[in-house]
Amino acid sequence: MHTSTLIIVLLGLMSLAYYMGRKRSLNLVSGRVRDLHSLPSYYGLLTALWCGIPAILLLVVWISFEGSVVTGLVVDSLPQETQNLPPERLNLVLNDIRNLATGDIVSTTVDENMQQAADHYARLQGISHMAMFVAALSLAILAGFIAHRSISRQQRARNRVEKAVNFFLLSSSTLAIFTTIGIVLSVLFESLRFFQQIPVTDFIFGLEWSPQTAIRADQVGSSGVFGAIPLFAGTFLITLIAMVVAVPIGLLSAIYMAEYAGRHFRSLAKPVLEVLAGIPTVVYGFFAALTVAPFFRDLGASLGLGVSSESALAAGVVMGIMIIPFVSSLSDDVINAVPQAMRDGSYGLGATRSETIRQVIIPAALPGIVGGVLLAVSRAIGETMIVVMAAGLSANLTANPLEAVTTVTVQIVTLLVGDQEFDSAKTLAAFALALVLFVITLALNMIALHIVRKYREQYE
Amino acid sequence: MDEVINRNSTIARELKAGSGAEVGMQVLNDSQSSGTVGDIYVDDPRMTCRNVNVYYGDKQAIFDIDLDIAKHQVISMIGPSGCGKSTFLRCLNRMNDTIDICKVTGQIKMEGQDIYDGGLDVVPLRASVGMVFQKPNPFPKSIYDNIGYGPRIHGLNDDKDHLDEIVETSLKKAGLWEEVKDRLDQPGTGLSGGQQQRLCIARAIAVSPEVILMDEPCSALDPIATAKIEELIDELRENYTIAIVTHSMQQAARVSQRTAYFHLGKLIEVGETDQIFTAPRHRLTEDYITGRFG
Repeated sequence: MHTSTLIIVLLGLMSLAYYMGRKRSLNLVSGRVRDLHSLPSYYGLLTALWCGIPAILLLVVWISFEGSVVTGLVVDSLPQETQNLPPERLNLVLNDIRNLATGDIVSTTVDENMQQAADHYARLQGISHMAMFVAALSLAILAGFIAHRSISRQQRARNRVEKAVNFFLLSSSTLAIFTTIGIVLSVLFESLRFFQQIPVTDFIFGLEWSPQTAIRADQVGSSGVFGAIPLFAGTFLITLIAMVVAVPIGLLSAIYMAEYAGRHFRSLAKPVLEVLAGIPTVVYGFFAALTVAPFFRDLGASLGLGVSSESALAAGVVMGIMIIPFVSSLSDDVINAVPQAMRDGSYGLGATRSETIRQVIIPAALPGIVGGVLLAVSRAIGETMIVVMAAGLSANLTANPLEAVTTVTVQIVTLLVGDQEFDSAKTLAAFALALVLFVITLALNMIALHIVRKYREQYE
Repeated sequence: MDEVINRNSTIARELKAGSGAEVGMQVLNDSQSSGTVGDIYVDDPRMTCRNVNVYYGDKQAIFDIDLDIAKHQVISMIGPSGCGKSTFLRCLNRMNDTIDICKVTGQIKMEGQDIYDGGLDVVPLRASVGMVFQKPNPFPKSIYDNIGYGPRIHGLNDDKDHLDEIVETSLKKAGLWEEVKDRLDQPGTGLSGGQQQRLCIARAIAVSPEVILMDEPCSALDPIATAKIEELIDELRENYTIAIVTHSMQQAARVSQRTAYFHLGKLIEVGETDQIFTAPRHRLTEDYITGRFG
């Protein structure tokens, strides 16, 4: 039997427990629900929870410790010389044993000892599984039975079920928080390893980026220079171009949608803008690389300008188009949040619509718009797919949008794609870049959210 | 008897204005059909409303209202919630234009000029018929810019000094100058509720209107701020014509010379404030002011 079978059996037991608990509570009062403390379904739920949760917890604990216990026992049974191997080598042997036991391909030739160990492993695993099954099922039945017996008229089933629900909600929300913390910590620690090899100042203030390092001593190759400034400069250049495209178009379309457009136009244009937001970034990426970039190159050629075929301009413009719906829907919300009383006050003084928008609505909505734009900036900085496909790889330090530049995200991708050794500065540099990028976008988001929130308070 | 004289004088004036005898007759007939009790007409009107109907989509909110608004007088409009008094007030400077589904029929004239005439621009109309709203709504700008907003968009100020003067006189007229003269550069939203409402009145005054419409201007204010605004309304009567919608009958009695009672979209009774509150002619008016409903 597989673990999934066990879970299905447990779910079956839980439904049974629900049914039994509900029935018992009804029997206790011979069908008069008002005599019970809680509704019958709460007694059912409580019994089902008692039946399921301890067993599932046991399952989780068992599965997480099963591997190490079984492996420990197998190692003890191995010959002495194998046990004395260095940890990495021992791990390889253990891997082979596991593969042999499950019937996968083994890297070395199989000898007597190996085969014995594999059989031992398989046997132990089988016993452990069996024991887990028996333990989990009996715990489920036992706990369910006790819960069933303890049902009484005064039992506060509703409150206990609410408490359990409360706990589930809490654990779901903390899961997301812990995941975030985990990601941040892993990036942080890998970055620290990087900074042990390359000084922080060289990384942050270095003007040259050339991450190629010689892997073996006899290899010819550069020693690697990790100056992040060209990458961040490229990122900001592309972001700037994207913002130059997205902010005016997004803002003006939001103003039109919120203040001028009739109901018909709005009902047509809003979904279309949302379609724009729904296009996968990879599609924008090849649109940029295959359509927009050649177009700019040819246009440049006809004007006598040398435009790189992977220009920052192409990537930036397409990224800007991608962000338009983001800017416009955020600004639309903020503009709509400006109280009607402001508009009335202005119209009542004889102001026209455009005077009202320019002099009252935009100033009133400005903090919110700025917040929305900052959120869009942090999205543009973190955007990867478009720049991977449309921006270049060479780390030029330039402010000319017609040249190829590279961005932080592109470099992270190229550093980590393919076979890597995880202790070289080249690979670890990706984590350092990620850390700085994370800090920048986090700061931008926090500023933006702060501004947006402050603005909300102003009117409510 | 009074009524007849008033009516005749209106007809005479309409004739003089060149609208023709037919219009005069129609006014007479319609005023009878609308069924309003009391003195609809005055000798010296700033605005005249004839046959005004307002629809929100398919729903009719106002039925056949005829009313004159006299110069240098405060007219208050009272009535239970949803009776159409605010809607009617908003017709007087075409604020209902901002509501898509709202349709106004009939005739509202200001100094003989039909304000719903297709060729008329609402910009100068709203400059000459200012409005103060229920909730104080200063712009999120400085006190100075709040007042300067209207004069600037209408190009009323010749230079900076002139604008300073307009701001000062407007604030003085609104009785706010002494309280804010040292902090004109601070945001108008930072003032207290009563000060904000007086700021809004000053803002309306700054474009030199002839009529000021007030839509429950004190309903968001405490009694002390309310008293100040009422005092102000009384002073403003000297230079402006004021139409005020209010829920408070005491307020109507205190500040207005004429009172109009609305009920379910119809103008039930209009007359001198004293007479309305002491000797109402219509049963509905009497029921309302004696507190039997509303």
